Amino acid sequence: MGFWKQAGRRAAYWFRRSEFEDELEQEIRFHLETRIEELERAGLSNREAAARARREFGSGARMREESRAAWQFQWLEDLLTDLRHAARTFRKKPSFTLTALACLALGIGANTLIFSLVDAILLRSLPYPNADRIVMVRFTPPAHSDQKLGTNPGSYFFIREHSRVFERMGAVRLVYQSVSPNGGDSASQWVQTGWCSPGLTDVMGVKPVLGRWFSGYDRDFPVVISYGLWQRAFGSAPDVIGRKLNFGSLGAPQVIGVAPPGFQTLDPEIDVWVLQPDENLALARRSPNRVFNLFARLKPGVTVAQAQAEMDSLASPMGAASPIDRGWSIRLDSLRDAYIGNLRQLLLIFQGAVLILLLIACANVASLLLAQATTRHRELALRSALGSSRGRVIRQLLAENLLLSILGYLVGVVLAWSGLHVVTSALPTMLPRFIEVTLNPAVLGYSLLLSLATGLIFGALPALHMSRSDLMDVLRDASRSTLRRSNLRGALVAAEVALAVVLLIGAGLMTNSLLRLNLVRPGFETRGLVTVQVPFQEVYKRTGINTAAGGMLAQVGPKLNQVGEEIRERLTHVPGAESAALTMTPPLGGTPRRFNFSAENRPLAPSEQEAWTAEWYPVSPDYFHTLRIPLLRGREFAAADSDTSRPVAVINATLAERFFRNENPIGKQIQTGVVYDPPREIVGIVGDVRQNRYEYAPQPQMYVPRAQLPQKMDLSLAQQFAVGTYVVRTHGDPAGLLPALRTAIRGVDRTFAITNSRTVDDYAAGQLQDLRHYTVLLSIFGGISILLSVAGLFGIMMHSVNQRTNEIGIRVALGARSGSILGMVAQQGMLVIGIGILCGVVASLALTRVIGRFLWGVTATDPLTFVLVLLAMLIVGLLACLVPARRALRIDPILALRWE
Amino acid sequence: MDERATSELLPGTLYMMVLRTLNAGPLHGYAIARRIQEASKGGLAIEDGSLYPALNRMLVKGWLKAEWGISENNRKARFYRLTPEGRKQLETETELFTQLVRSIQLVMRSA
Repeated sequence: MGFWKQAGRRAAYWFRRSEFEDELEQEIRFHLETRIEELERAGLSNREAAARARREFGSGARMREESRAAWQFQWLEDLLTDLRHAARTFRKKPSFTLTALACLALGIGANTLIFSLVDAILLRSLPYPNADRIVMVRFTPPAHSDQKLGTNPGSYFFIREHSRVFERMGAVRLVYQSVSPNGGDSASQWVQTGWCSPGLTDVMGVKPVLGRWFSGYDRDFPVVISYGLWQRAFGSAPDVIGRKLNFGSLGAPQVIGVAPPGFQTLDPEIDVWVLQPDENLALARRSPNRVFNLFARLKPGVTVAQAQAEMDSLASPMGAASPIDRGWSIRLDSLRDAYIGNLRQLLLIFQGAVLILLLIACANVASLLLAQATTRHRELALRSALGSSRGRVIRQLLAENLLLSILGYLVGVVLAWSGLHVVTSALPTMLPRFIEVTLNPAVLGYSLLLSLATGLIFGALPALHMSRSDLMDVLRDASRSTLRRSNLRGALVAAEVALAVVLLIGAGLMTNSLLRLNLVRPGFETRGLVTVQVPFQEVYKRTGINTAAGGMLAQVGPKLNQVGEEIRERLTHVPGAESAALTMTPPLGGTPRRFNFSAENRPLAPSEQEAWTAEWYPVSPDYFHTLRIPLLRGREFAAADSDTSRPVAVINATLAERFFRNENPIGKQIQTGVVYDPPREIVGIVGDVRQNRYEYAPQPQMYVPRAQLPQKMDLSLAQQFAVGTYVVRTHGDPAGLLPALRTAIRGVDRTFAITNSRTVDDYAAGQLQDLRHYTVLLSIFGGISILLSVAGLFGIMMHSVNQRTNEIGIRVALGARSGSILGMVAQQGMLVIGIGILCGVVASLALTRVIGRFLWGVTATDPLTFVLVLLAMLIVGLLACLVPARRALRIDPILALRWE
Repeated sequence: MDERATSELLPGTLYMMVLRTLNAGPLHGYAIARRIQEASKGGLAIEDGSLYPALNRMLVKGWLKAEWGISENNRKARFYRLTPEGRKQLETETELFTQLVRSIQLVMRSA
């Protein structure tokens, strides 16, 4: 209390300093003049009176000085003096200052950068009120504890009816939809729509910027559009409410509201929310398709853990109520965790990496400061001799460190600022777009604190060390204290090497994974392949009939194949295109459907049914040829495989090997779990293809001709057929052909909204993109760490050779061979490196486990990576020893002996 | 030269004396100096000038308030006045000082 009041008065003084000086002068004048008057009245002459008054008053200068000092923050004034002194010291030693500054700036810059990510992704609040109460409810299938899937309508209703911990629940399912905003036949846009239950917007708890959200009573196909779509398609028109969108065969819904910017549920971003009334959902109550994202708002005071406990207890009654949910468990994640997935762990790893980097930088600067100690000692000893207290000397040294860390901070922030766009472009694509990485005041404040703490850490050790040494020792420049110092520096450098080894092994393991992944062949020729996605209008109709499994049936129109083949025909004739095929998901660019299947004369035990699943690809003729998937046996699909001919299928080598081990699969009948799918005869075996480059082994795969698809299918499957993916083999530059391909497609129907025109190489790179970014980032940190620790090693080696010039000179004079001198010098360095590497390996064995889940094909203790990093570190360390050792060799004994 | 026998001040006692002097009412710096000299019958070696840093320190501590006024010789002068905090401080300091003096006297008599 009293302290703050005093500080307030002192601060007030700061603003009226000149006024204070005037008043002080006035007061002195008044005092002296009044005294003179009085003395004159007592009979003294004016001169005598003035002299006496002045004598009685004492030193005016001291009085002014002390009065001023009474008001000042003494430590602040001292600090400024110390800082000025420190700045002078640094100007005299530019090479030391620049090296130390570079170390600090790198360490602090890296930390600022990573913290800006941590701040944006983990710390800053989500744009929903009480966002910590919003959870995502997901479902984990039996025996696949790593998967988290969405909900089916049945589970949504079950949880809503039985749970006591949620205030509100909302489900949303994503549907791609071709939409033309202004009705009519203007070119449509390809947007992500979210079909949501009325509770969703209550869960999120934000208000629309225009109009209103859905109410439970809306029945006339209302939609809410995103802020982005409102800007893009309607030019932010204020009268957008009441306008209609053209949803093709689905009708023309009316816009009732505009969502606030940043409002979204999950990736990908939704542009149109469509109301899915609960009674529609109830129709599909028995559907097994977990296509809904389920969100819920916890009641106030309920924790995620409590809610999770309730979910755990609901899982088995849920399975008892509906067989399709048997064995499934329910998982809750806070909205933030659902958004960022495993990014939290990754960020913490990076945070750890940059802290290690900063520690290395600290050790380096501390080591540099210790090296300065020899020269500094004389100055400091002199100051002690002249009466500076030990505390005062330490303070001076700390001021130097403070200045160094503030300068390091400034340069570091500039570094971080220039690296910001690199890091933000490397962010995973699945992050919601409202996450914005900036160097905001919180980030800058954090890194300032970090820099100041750094200054204390790297400064305290040398400062204590220097101020403690015996004055006489120093003036004699006794070798004893030098020895102690070089041991300390050796320990610091060993620690640096150890930390660098940890970072390098981490980076090495990631690089190893990436290299292995790059070696994985997808099983087809990606180069020269390009994909274009086309939404087909009006390819299916809802039938209102439920399938046996509980989903809704859709009737697929005959137009699906006509239009599909017509476009394929045109694409084949585009100059530069060699062949074209139609499929459902882009190669390496999506998740294929999987279905159970069974083979003729092979009744499956219930336990086997789960195992007999395969990726299911409905493809057009020419698919294998276009992708260059090798045909191993039998035949490919031909134009003759039509809806009137015998149903056929082609399987891949893995399926053949796994399920028809000792038989010839060709000619065998198989039956898929696709509703209404007829039994098919296997006519060919093709090579394995990887749809996901992270797969360790190829999956069983099955191809069927698109022309032979059943006319009635599950609605969710039909919706997938509403989008066709064309794969085109090109002669030259695939990306350059895209405009021509687009023109060809528009030639069939100019309202087609074409999306995702990408090369397959692009998809292939995209799958590894995140891992590549992480690897590059970690490798940069590893590189900086090795640079810093080598600089530290080099520094102590040079210093030690300089210190031992005398000794080496004597040895040379006594006839020591150059080899033994070299060995003697290198030995010292290698000892430091050896200890460092040893500690680093032990630490790595314990620490690399944290990046285990980001590795592919290597264990976290991969011996090869460890050995390679060790060798690299040894070689680099040896080089760092070599230069000082050669310098030792060149020492002239005569000069060396005179050196002292 | 002034040959009178003077004694050095005990640390902190200047504050106490200033507080005591101002207890009767506001005074300017010169008057405070005079009062202390007169009351001590010139027995204290205080330079007049050293009063002012002490006054400033007491202002910072909040024991005094200063304001400009007109002196008895019709000049502008800075008057110092006790604050309630200053009054409290005077009480505690007086008490402590009396205790201290009593203790010292006890030692001096017994030895």
